[in-house]
Order: sequence, then C-alpha cells, then structure tokens
Amino acid sequence: MFKASFHSSVLKSSSTIRLTTGLRGISLKPDFNKLKLIPPPPGGVNGTVNDKLKTPNPDFFHGSYHWDYERITAISLIPLTMIPLYAALSNGTMYPMVDASLCSVLLIHAQLGFTSCIIDYIPKRKFGVWHTLAMSTLYLGSALGLYGVYELETSNNGLVDLISKLWKDDESNVYVFGGR
Amino acid sequence: MSGVLRRCAFRLAGTRSLATTATDITPRLKTFKIYRWNPDKPAEKPRLQEYQVNLNDCGPMVLDALLKIKNEQDATLTFRRSCREGICGSCAMNIGGRNTLACLCKIEPDISKQTKIYPLPHMYIVKDLVPDLTNFYKQYKSIQPYLQRSKVPEDGKENLQSIADRKKLDGLYECILCACCSTSCPSYWWNQEEYLGPAVLMQAYRWLIDSRDEASKIRKEMLQNSMSLYRCHTIMNCTRTCPKGLNPGKAIAEIKKALATD
Repeated sequence: MFKASFHSSVLKSSSTIRLTTGLRGISLKPDFNKLKLIPPPPGGVNGTVNDKLKTPNPDFFHGSYHWDYERITAISLIPLTMIPLYAALSNGTMYPMVDASLCSVLLIHAQLGFTSCIIDYIPKRKFGVWHTLAMSTLYLGSALGLYGVYELETSNNGLVDLISKLWKDDESNVYVFGGR
Repeated sequence: MSGVLRRCAFRLAGTRSLATTATDITPRLKTFKIYRWNPDKPAEKPRLQEYQVNLNDCGPMVLDALLKIKNEQDATLTFRRSCREGICGSCAMNIGGRNTLACLCKIEPDISKQTKIYPLPHMYIVKDLVPDLTNFYKQYKSIQPYLQRSKVPEDGKENLQSIADRKKLDGLYECILCACCSTSCPSYWWNQEEYLGPAVLMQAYRWLIDSRDEASKIRKEMLQNSMSLYRCHTIMNCTRTCPKGLNPGKAIAEIKKALATD
C-alpha cells in the first residue's frame, strides 16, 4: 500500500517535470500513458479517513430513468415475443408493426443491458479511456443494429420470418410441375 | 445412620461414575485452517495455517476456538472481537465459505472435516483476519445516518411517531454494520469505491422511510446516479449471508421502487 503510493507520487512528479520542460510539445510520440489502467488509491480510500465518501451529482438519466427503461422494455418484450410465437404455432399472420416494435424494443433492451455490464466490469474509475471506447463501440453496434432493423423491415420480411426460416427449408428453387 | 451411609454410598458411586466418564473421553481434535498475513513481512505471501483444537474443552462457537488458539497455541493470531454475542459485529469473517460472525457460528462437530477461516472477502487486509473497513464507514457517513428536521417539538421532548410508522423500521434498525452482506456482494467486490453496498443502502432506506425525518428528497437525490444504488443486480447474497437474519436485498428493492416514480 505504502509502496504503491510512493511509486505513484514519483510518477506524478516526473510527469510534471516533463510538462514544465516542454519536451512533450515537440514530441510526436503519442501519449500512451492514458491507455494504462488507473490504480486504486492506497487502501481504496480517497481523502482522509474521516471524510465521507464523495456523493456523485444527481443524474436521473443514469439513475432511476435507466432502471425504469430497463423494466419497461423487459416487460413489454413478454407480449411482443408471445404474439409472434402464437402466430407461428397457429400459422397465423405476423403484422409488420408488431415485428418492427419487437426488433426496436429488443435493441433498446440489449443496449441498456450491455450498458450495465460495461459500467460493472469496465468502470470509468479504473479503465478510463477503455470505458469510453467500450461505450462508443456499444453505441456504434446499436446504430448498426438499428440500420439492420430498418433493412429487415423495409426490404425483407422482418425478424420473425428470419428466425422461422431456421426451421423451414429454402423453397426458392423448388421444382413445381416443370414450371419456370 | 443408614440414611447417611446410603447418601455416602450414593455420592461415592456418583463421583466414581463421573471419574470414569472423564477418563474415557478421547480428545476430539478439530482442524482449523486460518488465513495468516503479517504486514511486517509484506513480501511473504498470505498462507493458511493449521491449528488443532480439542472440542471437548472448548466452547461451541468458532470464536471460542479462535480465542483458545490465541490463548494456548499462537498469540500472534490476530482478529477483532468484542461482545461474543452477535451485538457488536466485530468478529465478522468468512467461515467455511460463508460470511458470518464467529461468535454466532457453531463449530461443525464432524472432526473429520476441516474448517477454513478467511477474513471478509475482497477487502484490504490489515493483518490476519482483520479487514480494513475505512471505506465502508466512509460510505456509511455519506448517507447522512442521522435524523434531519427543520424544527423540533416545542415542548422540548421527543419527536413522536405512530406505532405503525415505528413498525416500518423493524428489520432495518437491527443492523450492526458488521459488513458481512456488503463483502458478500459481487457487485461490491468489483466497484466498492463507488457502489455503496447492501449494508449502507439498507441504512439509507431506514432513514428514507423514517416518518420523523424530513430530508427524504435529498436522500433520494444522493442515490440518483449509476453507481451508488444501481450497481445492485438483485444477486441476494446479502440476504443469504446476514448473520442477524435481516433482508438488505428487500430494502434495496424498496429504494428502487421509491426512486422509480421520482
């Protein structure tokens, strides 16, 4: 613990020296230091022993709203999956609007769930830029998914049809009475 | 005369039978494997040290065995203890894979099995079985665990509360802050610098629903961020491990419910 704090203070002072001498200004080498993981404070304690833990600023969108959206999407996915299941089993019709809303709600649900995973396992406190990278990759993936949903719903036959094709044989070049 | 004789004979027979049972008893040696780490020699890796305790002249609880080891075998063994009856929460440790209080945990009577004793998991260790709870107490301080009111009663007496309102605090106020639940929570293991943990959140709820407290708006706002409260994923290790039989998982769920419509 002691060793670590000593080490970090030496590192800090060396970086300030480098900044003041202006060596970084003419160097074209990228600063790889920010890719390093951020070590925890000695003993996991910031400030003095008698300070209270610093409370983050209230942020409803990452607090209760995020939780609410998680629950709303999770609950609305239940009927949205039951309807196509019923339609598939009873050979009923599948409505494109139901299919489209299933796709979008599923996408939002996955996005919220992965956000929670990233905050849990790649927290900004420790991983710094890697957290930002993970989050932007997730947003990129979700945007790509949204484009995929658009493609699926406009020029294809929707997600439910795509999945049910797994059980059906391809019928595009079936021989039917020598026709063509 | 005959009565005295009979009494003597009875006493003789009684003592003799006691003496024979005492000599017949073979020592029941139970093996304890205890986590050892000494801060004076930080380069040495933590290790498990084996101790054998005769269960015939030892109390029923794990704390009795630990005290016996410290008194008779190894005075360097270090652990916290105070009340020996589950009121102070000092002797919280991981016994046989479960976070519990050593003073409330019975020694497993099967002597063919070893009992392993570790400090509370995923904490900084001060020495042997003593974890560093500084961050835990700082978290407790951050939720402002005291009554906040704009004014006190004019007669200078206590703030009154209905019986029904007082009942809401049952199952919450009994918490002794032993940190068993918090240190059993995987979410707390990964993010204990920011996530408050079940013990502290249960106390946050205890002040949130206190009918005498008027600061619930601020108390709720303190939890409105991604880390403090919402790292709880209803794993429920907290409720499972609580040595006092409380339910921190339910308290956290109630906070989430209260915040959902905020």
